Amino acid sequence: MLPVTRKILIVEDDSSTAAYLAKGLAETGYAVETCADGRDGLFLASEGIFDLIIADRMLPGLNGLAMLGAIRAAGVSTPTLVLSALGTVDDRIDGLNAGADDYLVKPFSFAELTARIDAIFRRVDRNAAEGQPTRLSVGDLEIDLLARTVARQGKSISLGAREFNLLEYLARHAGQVVTRTMMLEKIWNYHFDPGSNVVDVHIGRLRRKLEEGFTAPILHTVRGAGYRLSVEP
Amino acid sequence: MIRLSVTARIALLSILLALVSNLVLVAFVWKVVRDDAIDELRRDTIEQSDALIAVYRSGGLPALGRTIREARTPGDVSRIVAVIARDGRLIAGVGPELDGFARWPNLGFRILAIGSPWSDREVGYAVRQIGPYRLVSGRVLDDWDAEQRGIERALAAAMLLSLALGVGGGLVVTRYVGRRLDRVADVIEGVAAGDLSRRVVNAASGDAFDRLAVRLNAMLDKTERLMSELRIVTDGLAHDLRSPLARLRAKAEAAVLQADPAQREAAMGGLLIETDLVMRMLSTMIEITRAESVPRDRLTRIDPATLVEEIADLYAPVVEDEGMRFDAIVAPALPSITLHRELMTQAIANLIDNALRHAAQGGEIVLRLRLRDHQAWFQVEDHGPGIAEADRAEALRRFGRLDRARSLPGAGLGMALVEAVARLHDGRVELHDNAPGLIAAIVVPISR
Repeated sequence: MLPVTRKILIVEDDSSTAAYLAKGLAETGYAVETCADGRDGLFLASEGIFDLIIADRMLPGLNGLAMLGAIRAAGVSTPTLVLSALGTVDDRIDGLNAGADDYLVKPFSFAELTARIDAIFRRVDRNAAEGQPTRLSVGDLEIDLLARTVARQGKSISLGAREFNLLEYLARHAGQVVTRTMMLEKIWNYHFDPGSNVVDVHIGRLRRKLEEGFTAPILHTVRGAGYRLSVEP
Repeated sequence: MIRLSVTARIALLSILLALVSNLVLVAFVWKVVRDDAIDELRRDTIEQSDALIAVYRSGGLPALGRTIREARTPGDVSRIVAVIARDGRLIAGVGPELDGFARWPNLGFRILAIGSPWSDREVGYAVRQIGPYRLVSGRVLDDWDAEQRGIERALAAAMLLSLALGVGGGLVVTRYVGRRLDRVADVIEGVAAGDLSRRVVNAASGDAFDRLAVRLNAMLDKTERLMSELRIVTDGLAHDLRSPLARLRAKAEAAVLQADPAQREAAMGGLLIETDLVMRMLSTMIEITRAESVPRDRLTRIDPATLVEEIADLYAPVVEDEGMRFDAIVAPALPSITLHRELMTQAIANLIDNALRHAAQGGEIVLRLRLRDHQAWFQVEDHGPGIAEADRAEALRRFGRLDRARSLPGAGLGMALVEAVARLHDGRVELHDNAPGLIAAIVVPISR
């Protein structure tokens, strides 16, 4: 499925979490290396051979955010996902401000982690590609990013501004699982958990607009994880 | 320096006080007795010198000399009589201490200490002019000496007495102080052992011990109140956590016993939902405790209208899906406010959740931002049953724990977070009547 095997560095001092991550990610198809210490992590990351770093915050030797700062200072821009038990809104914002590409709070669901890893790689690939796309298409769904219009099977669908942003985000990650918290973070820029089904309600509205009058579903619910925009069920 | 115990210091102080008061008394007696003795001596001496002058006038110096010699009765060593010439020569005289007068003394009555300065021997004498001579007549203050020794004995007795009184008084005082302090200590010990209802019995006499008791009781009142509030919160929390954990357990059990793979998977999904619920409650708790000590630099200047519009954007579909209207009304031309964007949003979202929960058939929820008295009012208005005016203070005090039988967990926590966020912004939570319904407002000062 993946053209090149991506290499992920896991810097995590809790051996059971590290083993769980390494096993799960290896099964997903990644090449995984682990180390349990912030200094070792910095040493390994400085080689620049990894495609992603997953780092704990509270590490022996050098804490995760300091390690991240040192990696960035060394000119290594390897995407980094911070995985921490420090989970308040301010903790998350601190992590993102320190240069993390994403921040996930322990305990986490593995689906959430893989969705976020996919999103990071998708963004990296997109940035590597020449230029920014002005159109996105998912199956019979066409999205014009400049005119901010949407059409399915040639029929125009009118969306609100927030609905359009939501659809754009889903389309940019077409075929991948996008979780509720990812959408809250990226679309609404909220890092707290609103508790109720706010995202589901917005998705429900978007889905009605995208699917009403069409036979094939396009916005799928992935149970226990989130949503996926795809023509394949 | 040796630190004496308070008991020893009080005892010493009372000894000192008894000693001083006894010494003052003895000194007074000493002074009175001495003055009496001197007065008597003066009269005596003047009488004697009058008699001697009469002898001189009738018989001249030889008669006076004779009289002086005769006047000295055997065994009497205290009497002094001398006739002194202008050149200091002693013409005639008897007495133990005549050397002191071997000069030309001034006229009048005097008291003279003889011997060393601290000698207890004093002489009272009168000097009169007789012809070309001076007549010195007087007496050693022997009577006074005796009195003085008596007084000295009294003084020694007084010192012993004051020592005894001091020790006794000190013991009584320290026993008294100790007993009153023990009462306070007993209460503190009882409280430390867990009985927060103990109070120091107050004699209401307004002394230092009573003031201590009043302060201590006030402190204990506050501690008891805080402890009971803490108990309410933890009880509520345990209650809130118990239901999702019970459901979690039930679903886990059901999933384990489920033979059909599809249904087992569905049950597993339910497990995840319940687990997330517990996790969310725990993170809310952490946010609450953290909100109490968020550093000021986390707050940024934000346009409150934008904040409210973003919340409205997120929540309008949620409210509408519940079959209610949602309206966001923002007062125009609002200044920017120093806010914690996410925590304030979360707090307002909790108020909306509450309104959804309690006013499900209320028809409309209004999110309103208005300005009054240099304060921004973020308020959520519903048309549900509301809270009776009498119950509002209690509802605020117990952070929305009014609803004892609430079906949805975490409501109390949600309101506790609202309260904590309001405090973080130096603000407060207010409840008002929406006639009908409830207005729940987070009131935040604008200029800070």
